[in-house]
Amino acid sequence: MKYYPNIPDLNANSSINLLLKRAKENRTVGIEEYETTGGYSALRKALTRFKPEDIVIMVEESTLRGRGGAGFPTGRKWRFALANPKPRYLICNADESEPGTFKDRIIIERDPHLLIEGMIISGYALGAELGFIYIRGEYPAGAMILEDAIEDARKKGYLGKNILGTDFSFDILVYRGAGAYICGEETALIESLEGKRGHPRLRPPYPANEGLFGRPTVVNNVETLANIPIIVTYENYYMNIGPAGYYGPKLFPISGKVKKPGVYESTMDITLRELIDMAGGMRDGKKFKAVFAGSLGIYSEKELDVPMDYSPKGFGGTGTTIVLDEDDCIIDSLIVVAEFFEHESCGKCTPCRVGTYELLNILKKFQEGTATEQDIKYLEHLCENIPVGSICGLGYSAPNAVRDALKKFRDEFYMHIEKKCPAGVCFKS
Amino acid sequence: MQYTYLTEDIRQKIDKYLNTFPVKEQVIIQALHLIYSKYRDIELPHMEELSNYIQVPLNQIEGIVHFYDMFRVKRNARHHIRVCKNLPCHIMGCKKLLELFEKLTNEKANEESKHGRFYIETVECIGACSVAPAFMIDDDLYDGTKITEEKLNEILSKYT
Ligand SMILES: Cc1cc2nc3c(=O)[nH]c(=O)nc-3n(C[C@H](O)[C@H](O)[C@H](O)COP(=O)(O)O)c2cc1C
Ligand code: SF4
Ligand code: FES
Repeated sequence: MKYYPNIPDLNANSSINLLLKRAKENRTVGIEEYETTGGYSALRKALTRFKPEDIVIMVEESTLRGRGGAGFPTGRKWRFALANPKPRYLICNADESEPGTFKDRIIIERDPHLLIEGMIISGYALGAELGFIYIRGEYPAGAMILEDAIEDARKKGYLGKNILGTDFSFDILVYRGAGAYICGEETALIESLEGKRGHPRLRPPYPANEGLFGRPTVVNNVETLANIPIIVTYENYYMNIGPAGYYGPKLFPISGKVKKPGVYESTMDITLRELIDMAGGMRDGKKFKAVFAGSLGIYSEKELDVPMDYSPKGFGGTGTTIVLDEDDCIIDSLIVVAEFFEHESCGKCTPCRVGTYELLNILKKFQEGTATEQDIKYLEHLCENIPVGSICGLGYSAPNAVRDALKKFRDEFYMHIEKKCPAGVCFKS
Repeated sequence: MQYTYLTEDIRQKIDKYLNTFPVKEQVIIQALHLIYSKYRDIELPHMEELSNYIQVPLNQIEGIVHFYDMFRVKRNARHHIRVCKNLPCHIMGCKKLLELFEKLTNEKANEESKHGRFYIETVECIGACSVAPAFMIDDDLYDGTKITEEKLNEILSKYT
């Protein structure tokens, strides 16, 4: 028997049963069960009833936006790549390393064929013959599960030459990363996938023009690609799922001080407050303090009615929701986030390399009780300037949490100057 | 060349990668994973053999080993414990978990192993925040929500 690494139950829930239709229990759905529950029928339909162009139009009309963080319209991204000649490549970004994010792994580990089917249909639409899944090094079980599932799909003729007897051929290779957050950034990912160090590339050129091996390349997140079979299955009915303009299911990984942390699937017409309620509400009767939205920023109690969609005022991003309560300190939490960015900055741009280091050191002064009002000004200066000289999203987003905290929890900075911590986390000694 | 570290099994797997990936540079990281799984540390002789076997310059392989966290660290241990320290795990008590690991293994986090059995490393989010404080031992992922000293001892005893 092959040895599979241990995976505990990470808790996944859904009332709409689209992305998580087969993935609510902690087990891997094999190819037979996938087929008998409707799997690979979207692929069959796509290859027999539609031209690649039809699929692209369907994806455009679906309003699907990338679930990897940037929320870029998927159809539009595909168009950019389609404007360039073959060969084209498709890459699935399964690097999932954003703090607080654990949604993609649920699809990978529990319902791998949904992702694979999504990739095959996408490959067909994009005129690609080869796709890669770049999976983070810390998901060894996921890599094994995907490799097995791909092998099963090949045996059944869903992958390989002349898929389902058509003249479309496509294959998928799994590629493991090795512990660098920056490799989730699409140009760094491409460098890493080419067998190099994962430093982001200067853009332009964008991957759609010059990506993997210099060829037109589409990089999409796991959850984005898992939406494709659903779009093809539902066609126009997809536009009944959720609010206008933000159709389709979304996964929300929620962690921290809620009763039932886990991955929740919902349409995007819910608010942050409703999501927290879905996760059982606050634990131990504690008072809500803040949500850290991955690397996007912080939400305070006043903002709990923000819609969880991709509108300009929406929550957007990966859907990552880390819930803090009255026992958690904003400064202390910012230090944890700042340590992460300081560690993960690839060092290519000076403002990012030096700025993330400075940000961390100044924040530590607040925890140690040596900060002055001048340090608040310095933090503001850093927040303004780190993004300016940075070339990738890590540098753009590194100051987000601090910037938001300075606006929404400014009093906590002043209290820490006075050596007081409202949560009772700092100055304990 | 005689290979001491690239065993027959590892070489077979590398051959498979060489046959499937479009360019051989793509094999480097995948092959390093094979070496890491077996030896838990990647050292110069490993890199030299790999360089020779897939015919990629040694400095290119060294550059990669130094860039990627999973390969760079010297551990000197048969088993690799990863305790997550990012925000969700931080607010759910990873400090206590880390102390428990240090006590039970008699090792210090992020320091080369003294006894050769366990290396403890604090890491960024490992994508298991709903079971925070989450941890991994080698390739296995664990739920840290209800961990006690007794339970942790039992888990550790599986890794000899
Ligand atoms: C520092 C950094 C890390 C990222 N990490 C990931 C990741 O782990 N997974 C992911 O899908 N996208 C990640 N992204 C976003 C990708 O660059 C890219 O936008 C995304 O994969 C595109 O897919 P989508 O359009 O389907 O969202 C990251 C971006 C940055 C700047
Ligand atoms: S912004 Fe930061 S992470 Fe991005 S390329 Fe520059 S130094 Fe590297
Ligand atoms: S923060 Fe620890 S697993 Fe995500």
